[in-house]
Amino acid sequence: MHKFFSNRRLVITVVILIVCFGLMAGSVVLRNRRNTPPLIQQFGNDVVGFADAVVAYPVNAVQGGMDSVSELVNTYQENRELKQQVNELAQTKVRDQTLAKENRQLKRELKLNRSLTDYRTITASVMARTPSTWQQQLIINKGQTSGVKKNMPVMSGAGLIGRVAEVNKTNSKVELLSDTSESANRFAISIEGENGKMVNGVITGYDSSANLLEMGQVTTKAKVKKGTKVTTSGMGGITPKGLYVGKVAGVGKDDYGLSQKLYIKPATNFNDINIVTVAELDSGE
Amino acid sequence: MYRLSRLKYVFPLGLFVALFLDGSFSKIFAPLMFSYPYSMSSQLVMLWLVLSFFLEENIHIPLVWFAVLAGAVADLYYSGILGLFIFLYPLIILLTRALDRLLDRNFLNMILIFFIDLVVFESLNYLAYRIIGVIHQGFGDFLVDSLAPTLALNLVYFVIFFWPVSRIYHWALSKRRRA
Repeated sequence: MHKFFSNRRLVITVVILIVCFGLMAGSVVLRNRRNTPPLIQQFGNDVVGFADAVVAYPVNAVQGGMDSVSELVNTYQENRELKQQVNELAQTKVRDQTLAKENRQLKRELKLNRSLTDYRTITASVMARTPSTWQQQLIINKGQTSGVKKNMPVMSGAGLIGRVAEVNKTNSKVELLSDTSESANRFAISIEGENGKMVNGVITGYDSSANLLEMGQVTTKAKVKKGTKVTTSGMGGITPKGLYVGKVAGVGKDDYGLSQKLYIKPATNFNDINIVTVAELDSGE
Repeated sequence: MYRLSRLKYVFPLGLFVALFLDGSFSKIFAPLMFSYPYSMSSQLVMLWLVLSFFLEENIHIPLVWFAVLAGAVADLYYSGILGLFIFLYPLIILLTRALDRLLDRNFLNMILIFFIDLVVFESLNYLAYRIIGVIHQGFGDFLVDSLAPTLALNLVYFVIFFWPVSRIYHWALSKRRRA
Protein backbone atom coordinates (compact mmCIF):
# COMPACT_ATOMS: atom_id res chain seq x y z
CA MET A 1 0.00 0.00 0.00
CA HIS A 2 2.76 2.38 0.90
CA LYS A 3 4.37 1.79 -2.44
CA PHE A 4 1.17 2.37 -4.33
CA PHE A 5 0.74 5.83 -2.93
CA SER A 6 4.21 6.94 -3.79
CA ASN A 7 4.33 10.45 -5.21
CA ARG A 8 4.44 9.64 -8.86
CA ARG A 9 1.58 7.17 -8.83
CA LEU A 10 -0.57 9.44 -6.75
CA VAL A 11 -0.06 12.30 -9.16
CA ILE A 12 -0.88 10.07 -12.14
CA THR A 13 -4.01 8.73 -10.45
CA VAL A 14 -5.26 12.19 -9.61
CA VAL A 15 -4.56 13.46 -13.13
CA ILE A 16 -6.41 10.51 -14.65
CA LEU A 17 -9.38 11.05 -12.34
CA ILE A 18 -9.54 14.72 -13.26
CA VAL A 19 -9.30 14.01 -16.99
CA CYS A 20 -11.93 11.29 -16.64
CA PHE A 21 -14.52 13.46 -14.93
CA GLY A 22 -13.64 16.46 -17.07
CA LEU A 23 -14.29 14.46 -20.22
CA MET A 24 -17.54 13.02 -18.89
CA ALA A 25 -18.92 16.31 -17.66
CA GLY A 26 -17.81 18.00 -20.87
CA SER A 27 -19.42 15.47 -23.14
CA VAL A 28 -22.69 15.50 -21.21
CA VAL A 29 -22.87 19.28 -21.49
CA LEU A 30 -21.93 19.23 -25.17
CA ARG A 31 -24.52 16.56 -25.85
CA ASN A 32 -27.28 18.63 -24.31
CA ARG A 33 -26.30 21.87 -26.00
CA ARG A 34 -25.12 21.11 -29.46
CA ASN A 35 -27.22 19.83 -32.30
CA THR A 36 -24.54 17.49 -33.52
CA PRO A 37 -21.46 16.12 -31.77
CA PRO A 38 -18.02 17.45 -32.78
CA LEU A 39 -16.95 16.40 -36.25
CA ILE A 40 -14.26 14.02 -35.06
CA GLN A 41 -16.75 12.19 -32.83
CA GLN A 42 -19.22 11.98 -35.70
CA PHE A 43 -16.57 10.57 -37.97
CA GLY A 44 -15.54 7.99 -35.38
CA ASN A 45 -19.14 6.98 -34.82
CA ASP A 46 -19.78 6.60 -38.54
CA VAL A 47 -16.77 4.34 -38.98
CA VAL A 48 -17.73 2.27 -35.96
CA GLY A 49 -21.33 2.15 -37.11
CA PHE A 50 -20.21 0.77 -40.43
CA ALA A 51 -18.13 -1.89 -38.71
CA ASP A 52 -21.03 -2.71 -36.40
CA ALA A 53 -23.19 -3.46 -39.40
CA VAL A 54 -20.82 -6.32 -40.28
CA VAL A 55 -21.56 -7.99 -36.95
CA ALA A 56 -25.10 -6.73 -36.40
CA TYR A 57 -26.64 -7.80 -39.68
CA PRO A 58 -25.91 -11.53 -39.38
CA VAL A 59 -27.05 -11.53 -35.75
CA ASN A 60 -30.22 -9.63 -36.61
CA ALA A 61 -30.84 -11.99 -39.50
CA VAL A 62 -30.70 -14.95 -37.12
CA GLN A 63 -33.12 -13.17 -34.82
CA GLY A 64 -35.40 -12.45 -37.75
CA GLY A 65 -35.37 -16.12 -38.73
CA MET A 66 -36.21 -17.27 -35.20
CA ASP A 67 -39.02 -14.75 -34.97
CA SER A 68 -40.46 -15.94 -38.26
CA VAL A 69 -40.58 -19.52 -37.03
CA SER A 70 -42.26 -18.62 -33.76
CA GLU A 71 -44.67 -16.32 -35.54
CA LEU A 72 -45.63 -19.06 -37.95
CA VAL A 73 -47.08 -21.03 -35.07
CA ASN A 74 -49.38 -18.20 -34.06
CA THR A 75 -50.34 -17.30 -37.58
CA TYR A 76 -53.54 -19.31 -37.91
CA GLN A 77 -55.22 -17.93 -34.84
CA GLU A 78 -53.98 -14.43 -35.47
CA ASN A 79 -55.22 -14.52 -39.03
CA ARG A 80 -58.75 -15.29 -37.92
CA GLU A 81 -58.77 -12.42 -35.48
CA LEU A 82 -57.22 -10.03 -37.93
CA LYS A 83 -59.77 -10.79 -40.63
CA GLN A 84 -62.46 -9.46 -38.37
CA GLN A 85 -60.54 -6.28 -37.82
CA VAL A 86 -59.73 -5.72 -41.48
CA ASN A 87 -63.33 -4.87 -42.31
CA GLU A 88 -63.43 -2.21 -39.67
CA LEU A 89 -60.07 -0.90 -40.77
CA ALA A 90 -61.22 -0.41 -44.34
CA GLN A 91 -64.09 1.71 -43.14
CA THR A 92 -61.84 3.76 -40.89
CA LYS A 93 -59.35 4.24 -43.68
CA VAL A 94 -61.91 5.58 -46.11
CA ARG A 95 -63.24 7.90 -43.45
CA ASP A 96 -59.68 8.95 -42.65
CA GLN A 97 -59.02 9.79 -46.28
CA THR A 98 -62.17 11.81 -46.54
CA LEU A 99 -61.37 13.68 -43.38
CA ALA A 100 -57.80 14.36 -44.49
CA LYS A 101 -59.11 15.74 -47.76
CA GLU A 102 -61.66 17.86 -46.02
CA ASN A 103 -58.99 19.05 -43.62
CA ARG A 104 -56.78 20.10 -46.53
CA GLN A 105 -59.62 21.99 -48.14
CA LEU A 106 -60.51 23.74 -44.91
CA LYS A 107 -56.90 24.68 -44.35
CA ARG A 108 -56.74 26.15 -47.81
CA GLU A 109 -59.85 28.20 -47.06
CA LEU A 110 -58.14 29.51 -43.96
CA LYS A 111 -54.89 30.10 -45.85
CA LEU A 112 -53.18 27.85 -43.35
CA ASN A 113 -50.44 26.00 -45.16
CA ARG A 114 -49.06 23.71 -42.54
CA SER A 115 -50.23 22.85 -39.10
CA LEU A 116 -48.76 20.87 -36.27
CA THR A 117 -50.23 17.59 -37.46
CA ASP A 118 -48.23 17.56 -40.68
CA TYR A 119 -45.09 15.54 -40.47
CA ARG A 120 -42.85 13.48 -42.65
CA THR A 121 -41.37 10.19 -41.56
CA ILE A 122 -38.00 8.56 -41.89
CA THR A 123 -37.85 4.81 -41.38
CA ALA A 124 -34.73 3.28 -39.87
CA SER A 125 -33.73 -0.07 -38.47
CA VAL A 126 -32.17 -0.64 -35.08
CA MET A 127 -28.56 -1.82 -35.16
CA ALA A 128 -27.74 -2.20 -31.49
CA ARG A 129 -28.68 -1.22 -28.00
CA THR A 130 -26.38 0.36 -25.43
CA PRO A 131 -25.14 -2.49 -23.22
CA SER A 132 -25.70 -0.55 -20.04
CA THR A 133 -28.11 -0.88 -17.20
CA TRP A 134 -28.80 2.83 -17.04
CA GLN A 135 -28.73 4.33 -20.47
CA GLN A 136 -31.70 3.10 -22.42
CA GLN A 137 -30.45 3.93 -25.89
CA LEU A 138 -30.83 2.44 -29.33
CA ILE A 139 -28.52 2.97 -32.26
CA ILE A 140 -30.35 3.37 -35.56
CA ASN A 141 -28.94 3.27 -39.07
CA LYS A 142 -30.06 6.68 -40.33
CA GLY A 143 -28.37 10.00 -39.65
CA GLN A 144 -27.91 13.51 -40.94
CA THR A 145 -27.69 12.37 -44.54
CA SER A 146 -31.25 11.02 -44.30
CA GLY A 147 -32.53 14.14 -42.62
CA VAL A 148 -32.54 13.04 -39.00
CA LYS A 149 -32.04 15.89 -36.54
CA LYS A 150 -31.54 16.04 -32.81
CA ASN A 151 -34.66 15.98 -30.61
CA MET A 152 -36.92 14.53 -33.27
CA PRO A 153 -39.54 12.18 -31.84
CA VAL A 154 -39.14 8.50 -32.64
CA MET A 155 -41.99 6.02 -32.95
CA SER A 156 -42.20 2.29 -33.27
CA GLY A 157 -45.05 -0.16 -33.39
CA ALA A 158 -48.11 1.58 -32.09
CA GLY A 159 -46.64 4.67 -30.52
CA LEU A 160 -43.94 7.03 -29.35
CA ILE A 161 -40.77 5.45 -27.96
CA GLY A 162 -38.31 8.29 -27.49
CA ARG A 163 -36.32 11.05 -29.08
CA VAL A 164 -33.13 11.41 -31.07
CA ALA A 165 -30.31 12.19 -28.65
CA GLU A 166 -27.29 12.34 -30.92
CA VAL A 167 -26.95 12.53 -34.68
CA ASN A 168 -23.99 11.43 -36.75
CA LYS A 169 -23.72 11.35 -40.52
CA THR A 170 -25.02 7.82 -41.01
CA ASN A 171 -26.31 6.69 -37.61
CA SER A 172 -27.92 8.20 -34.57
CA LYS A 173 -28.74 7.40 -30.99
CA VAL A 174 -32.30 7.26 -29.73
CA GLU A 175 -32.99 7.82 -26.07
CA LEU A 176 -35.98 5.74 -25.02
CA LEU A 177 -38.77 7.08 -22.84
CA SER A 178 -37.68 4.53 -20.25
CA ASP A 179 -34.41 6.40 -19.79
CA THR A 180 -34.50 8.28 -16.52
CA SER A 181 -31.68 10.75 -17.05
CA GLU A 182 -32.36 14.44 -16.69
CA SER A 183 -32.34 15.27 -20.37
CA ALA A 184 -34.90 12.65 -21.36
CA ASN A 185 -38.66 12.46 -20.93
CA ARG A 186 -39.74 15.94 -21.80
CA PHE A 187 -42.47 15.36 -24.32
CA ALA A 188 -45.43 17.69 -24.23
CA ILE A 189 -48.56 15.57 -24.13
CA SER A 190 -52.27 16.12 -23.83
CA ILE A 191 -55.17 14.01 -22.65
CA GLU A 192 -58.82 14.58 -23.20
CA GLY A 193 -60.50 14.79 -19.83
CA GLU A 194 -64.20 14.48 -19.09
CA ASN A 195 -66.49 17.01 -20.82
CA GLY A 196 -63.92 17.47 -23.56
CA LYS A 197 -61.50 19.48 -21.44
CA MET A 198 -57.91 19.04 -22.52
CA VAL A 199 -55.30 18.24 -19.90
CA ASN A 200 -51.86 19.40 -21.00
CA GLY A 201 -48.55 18.50 -19.46
CA VAL A 202 -45.20 16.85 -19.96
CA ILE A 203 -43.89 13.37 -19.41
CA THR A 204 -41.86 13.83 -16.26
CA GLY A 205 -40.57 10.39 -15.54
CA TYR A 206 -40.71 6.67 -15.86
CA ASP A 207 -41.55 4.07 -13.26
CA SER A 208 -39.42 1.10 -14.22
CA SER A 209 -40.91 -1.31 -11.71
CA ALA A 210 -44.38 -0.97 -13.20
CA ASN A 211 -43.41 0.02 -16.77
CA LEU A 212 -45.49 3.20 -16.62
CA LEU A 213 -44.76 6.73 -17.79
CA GLU A 214 -45.44 9.49 -15.32
CA MET A 215 -47.04 12.82 -16.06
CA GLY A 216 -46.54 15.03 -13.06
CA GLN A 217 -47.64 18.50 -12.00
CA VAL A 218 -51.10 18.31 -13.46
CA THR A 219 -52.98 21.12 -11.76
CA THR A 220 -56.22 21.20 -13.71
CA LYS A 221 -59.30 19.94 -11.96
CA ALA A 222 -60.52 18.08 -15.05
CA LYS A 223 -61.14 14.43 -14.34
CA VAL A 224 -59.37 11.91 -16.49
CA LYS A 225 -60.74 8.44 -17.03
CA LYS A 226 -58.65 5.32 -17.02
CA GLY A 227 -57.98 4.08 -20.53
CA THR A 228 -58.11 7.51 -22.17
CA LYS A 229 -55.71 7.82 -25.08
CA VAL A 230 -52.68 10.05 -24.62
CA THR A 231 -51.12 11.90 -27.56
CA THR A 232 -48.41 14.48 -28.03
CA SER A 233 -49.74 18.02 -27.90
CA GLY A 234 -47.39 19.61 -30.42
CA MET A 235 -46.37 22.31 -27.97
CA GLY A 236 -42.73 23.25 -28.05
CA GLY A 237 -42.57 23.14 -31.80
CA ILE A 238 -40.36 20.10 -32.30
CA THR A 239 -42.84 17.28 -31.87
CA PRO A 240 -45.81 17.01 -34.23
CA LYS A 241 -49.26 16.95 -32.71
CA GLY A 242 -51.18 13.73 -32.39
CA LEU A 243 -48.50 11.07 -32.00
CA TYR A 244 -49.90 8.24 -29.92
CA VAL A 245 -48.13 7.73 -26.58
CA GLY A 246 -50.29 5.30 -24.66
CA LYS A 247 -53.29 4.97 -22.39
CA VAL A 248 -53.94 6.35 -18.93
CA ALA A 249 -53.38 3.58 -16.43
CA GLY A 250 -54.11 5.39 -13.21
CA VAL A 251 -54.40 8.72 -11.46
CA GLY A 252 -52.67 9.61 -8.22
CA LYS A 253 -51.53 12.52 -6.12
CA ASP A 254 -47.98 13.79 -6.38
CA ASP A 255 -45.57 13.64 -3.45
CA TYR A 256 -46.90 16.79 -1.79
CA GLY A 257 -50.57 16.21 -2.49
CA LEU A 258 -50.95 19.47 -4.36
CA SER A 259 -51.32 18.31 -7.91
CA GLN A 260 -52.36 15.21 -9.79
CA LYS A 261 -50.00 12.68 -11.20
CA LEU A 262 -51.10 10.54 -14.10
CA TYR A 263 -49.66 7.16 -14.97
CA ILE A 264 -49.54 6.21 -18.62
CA LYS A 265 -49.13 2.74 -20.05
CA PRO A 266 -46.88 3.12 -23.10
CA ALA A 267 -48.26 1.75 -26.36
CA THR A 268 -45.03 0.06 -27.41
CA ASN A 269 -42.91 -2.44 -25.55
CA PHE A 270 -39.54 -0.68 -25.27
CA ASN A 271 -37.70 -3.99 -25.26
CA ASP A 272 -38.86 -5.31 -28.58
CA ILE A 273 -37.97 -2.72 -31.17
CA ASN A 274 -36.50 -3.52 -34.57
CA ILE A 275 -37.79 -0.84 -36.88
CA VAL A 276 -38.35 2.76 -35.88
CA THR A 277 -39.90 5.79 -37.54
CA VAL A 278 -38.44 9.21 -36.98
CA ALA A 279 -41.01 11.98 -37.33
CA GLU A 280 -40.05 15.33 -38.77
CA LEU A 281 -42.31 18.31 -38.32
CA ASP A 282 -43.11 19.86 -41.70
CA SER A 283 -43.82 23.36 -40.48
CA GLY A 284 -40.46 23.59 -38.78
CA GLU A 285 -38.56 24.86 -41.78
CA MET B 1 6.59 -12.00 -29.22
CA TYR B 2 3.00 -10.79 -29.71
CA ARG B 3 3.85 -9.53 -33.16
CA LEU B 4 4.96 -12.95 -34.31
CA SER B 5 2.05 -15.01 -33.01
CA ARG B 6 -1.34 -15.80 -34.48
CA LEU B 7 -2.81 -13.88 -31.59
CA LYS B 8 -1.91 -10.76 -33.51
CA TYR B 9 -5.02 -11.42 -35.60
CA VAL B 10 -7.10 -13.52 -33.23
CA PHE B 11 -7.07 -11.13 -30.29
CA PRO B 12 -8.12 -7.87 -31.99
CA LEU B 13 -10.71 -9.74 -34.05
CA GLY B 14 -12.21 -11.28 -30.91
CA LEU B 15 -12.23 -7.92 -29.17
CA PHE B 16 -13.96 -6.35 -32.14
CA VAL B 17 -16.61 -9.07 -32.32
CA ALA B 18 -17.15 -8.99 -28.54
CA LEU B 19 -17.65 -5.22 -28.64
CA PHE B 20 -20.37 -5.39 -31.24
CA LEU B 21 -21.98 -8.52 -29.86
CA ASP B 22 -22.53 -6.60 -26.61
CA GLY B 23 -24.75 -4.19 -28.50
CA SER B 24 -26.46 -6.86 -30.57
CA PHE B 25 -27.16 -9.13 -27.61
CA SER B 26 -28.54 -6.19 -25.66
CA LYS B 27 -30.91 -5.53 -28.52
CA ILE B 28 -31.96 -9.09 -29.29
CA PHE B 29 -32.35 -10.32 -25.73
CA ALA B 30 -33.79 -7.03 -24.50
CA PRO B 31 -37.01 -8.69 -23.29
CA LEU B 32 -34.90 -10.93 -21.07
CA MET B 33 -32.20 -8.49 -20.07
CA PHE B 34 -34.30 -5.44 -19.36
CA SER B 35 -37.41 -7.05 -17.93
CA TYR B 36 -38.74 -4.69 -15.31
CA PRO B 37 -37.37 -3.79 -12.89
CA TYR B 38 -34.15 -5.68 -13.49
CA SER B 39 -31.56 -4.67 -16.01
CA MET B 40 -28.40 -6.49 -16.98
CA SER B 41 -25.50 -5.19 -18.98
CA SER B 42 -23.68 -7.55 -21.24
CA GLN B 43 -19.92 -7.23 -20.81
CA LEU B 44 -18.40 -9.53 -23.40
CA VAL B 45 -15.54 -7.09 -23.95
CA MET B 46 -14.46 -7.43 -20.35
CA LEU B 47 -14.80 -11.19 -20.56
CA TRP B 48 -12.60 -11.28 -23.65
CA LEU B 49 -9.99 -9.02 -22.05
CA VAL B 50 -9.87 -10.99 -18.81
CA LEU B 51 -9.83 -14.39 -20.54
CA SER B 52 -7.06 -13.16 -22.83
CA PHE B 53 -5.05 -12.22 -19.79
CA PHE B 54 -5.47 -15.71 -18.35
CA LEU B 55 -4.84 -17.58 -21.58
CA GLU B 56 -2.08 -15.58 -23.24
CA GLU B 57 0.60 -17.82 -21.66
CA ASN B 58 4.04 -16.37 -22.30
CA ILE B 59 2.95 -13.99 -25.04
CA HIS B 60 2.30 -10.54 -23.74
CA ILE B 61 -0.56 -8.90 -25.54
CA PRO B 62 -0.57 -5.13 -25.01
CA LEU B 63 -3.86 -5.54 -23.19
CA VAL B 64 -3.99 -2.13 -21.55
CA TRP B 65 -3.76 -0.28 -24.86
CA PHE B 66 -6.36 -2.48 -26.49
CA ALA B 67 -8.55 -1.88 -23.45
CA VAL B 68 -8.17 1.87 -23.93
CA LEU B 69 -9.13 1.49 -27.59
CA ALA B 70 -12.15 -0.69 -26.85
CA GLY B 71 -13.18 1.71 -24.09
CA ALA B 72 -12.96 4.69 -26.44
CA VAL B 73 -15.14 2.98 -29.03
CA ALA B 74 -17.67 1.86 -26.41
CA ASP B 75 -17.84 5.38 -25.00
CA LEU B 76 -18.33 7.05 -28.35
CA TYR B 77 -20.60 4.55 -29.99
CA TYR B 78 -22.74 3.16 -27.22
CA SER B 79 -23.07 5.72 -24.48
CA GLY B 80 -22.10 8.96 -26.20
CA ILE B 81 -20.49 10.09 -22.94
CA LEU B 82 -16.76 10.09 -23.36
CA GLY B 83 -14.35 9.31 -20.56
CA LEU B 84 -15.71 6.38 -18.60
CA PHE B 85 -15.05 3.04 -20.26
CA ILE B 86 -11.83 4.38 -21.71
CA PHE B 87 -10.49 4.38 -18.13
CA LEU B 88 -12.49 1.53 -16.65
CA TYR B 89 -11.39 -1.20 -19.07
CA PRO B 90 -7.64 -0.62 -18.51
CA LEU B 91 -8.31 -0.39 -14.78
CA ILE B 92 -9.92 -3.82 -14.90
CA ILE B 93 -6.82 -5.24 -16.62
CA LEU B 94 -4.61 -3.80 -13.89
CA LEU B 95 -6.94 -5.14 -11.20
CA THR B 96 -6.96 -8.58 -12.77
CA ARG B 97 -3.17 -8.56 -12.88
CA ALA B 98 -2.97 -7.54 -9.22
CA LEU B 99 -5.46 -10.20 -8.10
CA ASP B 100 -3.80 -12.86 -10.20
CA ARG B 101 -0.60 -12.35 -8.25
CA LEU B 102 -2.43 -13.09 -5.01
CA LEU B 103 -4.31 -16.22 -6.06
CA ASP B 104 -3.36 -19.54 -7.59
CA ARG B 105 -4.56 -19.88 -11.10
CA ASN B 106 -7.42 -22.37 -11.38
CA PHE B 107 -10.90 -22.22 -12.81
CA LEU B 108 -12.67 -21.23 -9.60
CA ASN B 109 -10.17 -18.50 -8.83
CA MET B 110 -10.52 -17.15 -12.35
CA ILE B 111 -14.28 -16.91 -11.83
CA LEU B 112 -13.67 -15.26 -8.49
CA ILE B 113 -11.37 -12.69 -10.09
CA PHE B 114 -13.87 -12.03 -12.87
CA PHE B 115 -16.58 -11.65 -10.22
CA ILE B 116 -14.54 -9.04 -8.36
CA ASP B 117 -13.75 -7.28 -11.65
CA LEU B 118 -17.44 -7.05 -12.44
CA VAL B 119 -18.37 -5.70 -9.04
CA VAL B 120 -15.67 -3.04 -9.21
CA PHE B 121 -16.52 -2.17 -12.80
CA GLU B 122 -20.26 -1.82 -12.27
CA SER B 123 -19.88 0.05 -8.99
CA LEU B 124 -17.45 2.58 -10.44
CA ASN B 125 -19.68 2.92 -13.49
CA TYR B 126 -22.64 3.59 -11.18
CA LEU B 127 -20.70 6.06 -9.04
CA ALA B 128 -19.38 8.04 -12.00
CA TYR B 129 -22.80 8.30 -13.68
CA ARG B 130 -24.35 9.20 -10.35
CA ILE B 131 -21.87 12.03 -9.86
CA ILE B 132 -22.40 13.53 -13.31
CA GLY B 133 -26.17 13.12 -13.00
CA VAL B 134 -27.01 10.52 -15.61
CA ILE B 135 -28.75 8.28 -13.08
CA HIS B 136 -30.80 8.86 -9.98
CA GLN B 137 -31.21 5.30 -8.79
CA GLY B 138 -30.49 4.71 -5.10
CA PHE B 139 -27.57 2.52 -4.10
CA GLY B 140 -29.83 -0.20 -2.69
CA ASP B 141 -31.81 -0.37 -5.92
CA PHE B 142 -28.57 -0.49 -7.87
CA LEU B 143 -27.39 -3.53 -5.89
CA VAL B 144 -30.61 -5.47 -6.33
CA ASP B 145 -31.83 -4.36 -9.75
CA SER B 146 -28.62 -3.85 -11.71
CA LEU B 147 -25.57 -5.36 -10.05
CA ALA B 148 -26.98 -8.74 -9.12
CA PRO B 149 -28.55 -9.50 -12.53
CA THR B 150 -25.44 -8.23 -14.34
CA LEU B 151 -23.24 -10.50 -12.23
CA ALA B 152 -25.50 -13.46 -12.92
CA LEU B 153 -25.51 -12.87 -16.67
CA ASN B 154 -21.79 -12.32 -17.03
CA LEU B 155 -20.82 -15.28 -14.85
CA VAL B 156 -22.99 -17.43 -17.09
CA TYR B 157 -21.10 -15.93 -20.03
CA PHE B 158 -17.84 -16.86 -18.32
CA VAL B 159 -18.84 -20.47 -17.87
CA ILE B 160 -20.23 -20.77 -21.40
CA PHE B 161 -17.41 -19.01 -23.19
CA PHE B 162 -14.45 -20.26 -21.17
CA TRP B 163 -14.06 -23.51 -23.03
CA PRO B 164 -14.50 -22.17 -26.61
CA VAL B 165 -12.17 -19.26 -25.95
CA SER B 166 -9.52 -21.49 -24.41
CA ARG B 167 -9.76 -23.75 -27.49
CA ILE B 168 -9.21 -20.72 -29.71
CA TYR B 169 -6.17 -19.70 -27.69
CA HIS B 170 -4.86 -23.23 -27.66
CA TRP B 171 -5.15 -23.33 -31.44
CA ALA B 172 -3.55 -19.93 -31.90
CA LEU B 173 -0.63 -20.77 -29.65
CA SER B 174 -0.01 -24.30 -30.93
CA LYS B 175 0.24 -23.12 -34.53
CA ARG B 176 2.93 -20.76 -33.45
CA ARG B 177 4.97 -23.48 -31.80
CA ARG B 178 4.94 -25.74 -34.83
CA ALA B 179 5.91 -23.00 -37.24
